[in-house]
Amino acid sequence: MWKRHSTTELRAEIDNQNSWSIEPLQPAGVHDLQFDPIQPKSLSIRVSKLHATATGFVFPEANQWTPPVTATEKARHSKRKSYTSLQRHRIRPPNEVVKLQDRLYYLLQPPLDSLVGSGQLNFPFDPFPYQLDGIAFLFPRYAAVLADEMGLGKTMQAISTIRLLLCSGEIRSVLLICPKPLVSNWLREFQVWAPEIPVAAIGGNATKREFQWKSPDVPVKVANYELLMRDKETVLNSGLHFDLVTLDEAQRIKNRNSTTSEIVRAIPRTRSWALTGTPVENSPDDLVGIFDYLSPGHLQIGMPMNQIAKASKDYILRRTKDMVMNDMPPKLYRDAELDLTPEQWATYESAESEGVIQLEELQQELTIQHVFELVLRLKQICNFDPSTGSSSKLERLVADMEEVSASGKKAIVFSQWVNSIEKMKPALERFGPLEYHGRVPHKRREGVIEQFKNDPDCSVILMSYGAGSVGLNLQFCEYVFLFDRWWNPAVEDQAINRAHRIGVKGAVTVTRMLAMNTIEQRIASILDEKREMFDLLFSETSPTAKPLKRGGLSRDEIFGLFDLRAPDGKKVA
Amino acid sequence: MPETESPTIGYYTVVEDEQTGWTGGLLLLNGGGRPLEFQCTLPVRPTRAHEILFGLTLRDHLIGEVIGPLLVRKCRTPIGLLCCDQPEALQIETRINCPVALVEEAAMVDEGPIDDESLVGSTQVQLAGSNLRVAVEQAERVQKLAAVLIDLPDATEPFERIREAIKEAQSQIARPQSSRVPPAAAA
Repeated sequence: MWKRHSTTELRAEIDNQNSWSIEPLQPAGVHDLQFDPIQPKSLSIRVSKLHATATGFVFPEANQWTPPVTATEKARHSKRKSYTSLQRHRIRPPNEVVKLQDRLYYLLQPPLDSLVGSGQLNFPFDPFPYQLDGIAFLFPRYAAVLADEMGLGKTMQAISTIRLLLCSGEIRSVLLICPKPLVSNWLREFQVWAPEIPVAAIGGNATKREFQWKSPDVPVKVANYELLMRDKETVLNSGLHFDLVTLDEAQRIKNRNSTTSEIVRAIPRTRSWALTGTPVENSPDDLVGIFDYLSPGHLQIGMPMNQIAKASKDYILRRTKDMVMNDMPPKLYRDAELDLTPEQWATYESAESEGVIQLEELQQELTIQHVFELVLRLKQICNFDPSTGSSSKLERLVADMEEVSASGKKAIVFSQWVNSIEKMKPALERFGPLEYHGRVPHKRREGVIEQFKNDPDCSVILMSYGAGSVGLNLQFCEYVFLFDRWWNPAVEDQAINRAHRIGVKGAVTVTRMLAMNTIEQRIASILDEKREMFDLLFSETSPTAKPLKRGGLSRDEIFGLFDLRAPDGKKVA
Repeated sequence: MPETESPTIGYYTVVEDEQTGWTGGLLLLNGGGRPLEFQCTLPVRPTRAHEILFGLTLRDHLIGEVIGPLLVRKCRTPIGLLCCDQPEALQIETRINCPVALVEEAAMVDEGPIDDESLVGSTQVQLAGSNLRVAVEQAERVQKLAAVLIDLPDATEPFERIREAIKEAQSQIARPQSSRVPPAAAA
């Protein structure tokens, strides 16, 4: 049973040993802390007023450098073209212009594409964008090389820029120098691209020419290189001065010591331009020749290739079709590697072996001329056997022409020799062959081209490299045959580009005929090396310091063709 | 001479660069888009204190109150219409005697699409294939000018010219001068 305790017996005790207690929250005492009084100090941050300083340039409004727009043109262009180009074609000042105001003068001009789009700047045909770039390149330059590949329209770019410069009043007198056969071409192109600019070709008797040279009424004068020699006295010493001298096919002055080069360099002028599709034909020194006219001393003979490329970069504009014409039909190369006919081969073998023996017998009298004679003889045999007239190249050409003619197309055949051209003519009779070479008088040449263009019975034109490689527009031809190879790939390219140029509708097939195991094959390998040199010199990337074999068939290379030893040199295999 | 007889058109923009500062350029063109005058400032470099104290209004202040009015004041050729590509520049209108327009196509790059709501009190006027935003009360005046400026090739592109010119001017500072005959000055 539970026992109950009484209440008085209940008692609670804290065991101080085994329990915890809280300190009292109430402080036991009060402490006084003394602080120094806060005395705030004012600190003023002054924000200076933002100031700007301005500089200004005023440009003369007189420089309205587009040709005046006629009422009809204005009506034609009243509807704005939607010419929205992603890339602006702006005139950029060359490095040689250093004064800020002058640089800004060019930079602040409206881009050419917007002028074309708004109808302020009119062309008979819409220019390609790269052509606007070409105009923008030439416009501000006092020294320039327009080195576009053949067929990209250097003539149009030069004429259009001359037109703008004349309209702006920046230039008043222009002398254009070109090879004689191209004078009429330039006059024609001026008529197309700058019909409002008076142009005259210098010609006629001495009195008439002197009058033409001195006539202030015609702002653009066209003269040929040969004539320049005859009229040297008038051009150099009668007080004439040209605001611009433009050389077409400027490779003509690559030899600095030639009379042509000397006269051209001495013409009193302010601006100097050079147009050439082949600024370098044989060696980088060709460029030095052209620069002696543009800016004497800027390049020197023997400068390393990479230095030449760097120093000339701002002066040269070079575009190839591959770079600018994405939609241009391709150029298809076909190497026709042919074996000589038995008759040709027999003649060739004996001519080579006898020739080499004769050369070796000459010993110390052996000159490069002797070797050249043998090369030419052998190359001619590769074209035709001299005794029988047999020719594997002609057989192939006739076979190919059947196809060309049957498809209604036209072809150009190039050869180094007029004699070869005459020999191939009878076999090509049914294709209506026309001839265009040095023996065709200048007066008749234009008629020949017109007939070739318009006569459906004429499917082929036979041309020599010399007469037919420059300044002709034959873009309606889709076939080019190189019956024999020229010494220089640049000349070959010019020839091919007669057909492969702006306006070409289909691919251009280039057939390069090559007699196997002959001198032609050996020369072809040297030509390939030259092509490489050219590509390197004008490549976008800076050329490497890699030592290059100089272009051109050097003396050693020519001796090397026959494994000969030059009289005063070491043997070159 | 009435302002629509041979009107000039000014283009104003300010280039901001972390390194160099704020540089303004004013390009004055004739009706054909040719340069008549170019004014630019040396780069303005606000201090850290300016940045903190002006806060978000610094841009307004520089473009609309410091750089723009100075360039307009310096310009010797009378301006018929002033085009800008930064909305902050529109306030210059209160200080000058010509209408100020925002070129939509040029401004959109930084500002995005511009309409009546984003720019209250403005309306559109067409010029050389572009849309200009102008104050409603200036619309008629700008329309008259636009009707005369039919030869202007492009109403947006001149801003690019100013930026190119500013870049050129800045790169010139380190370039040595030469004594070549100036083609522009000679003309």
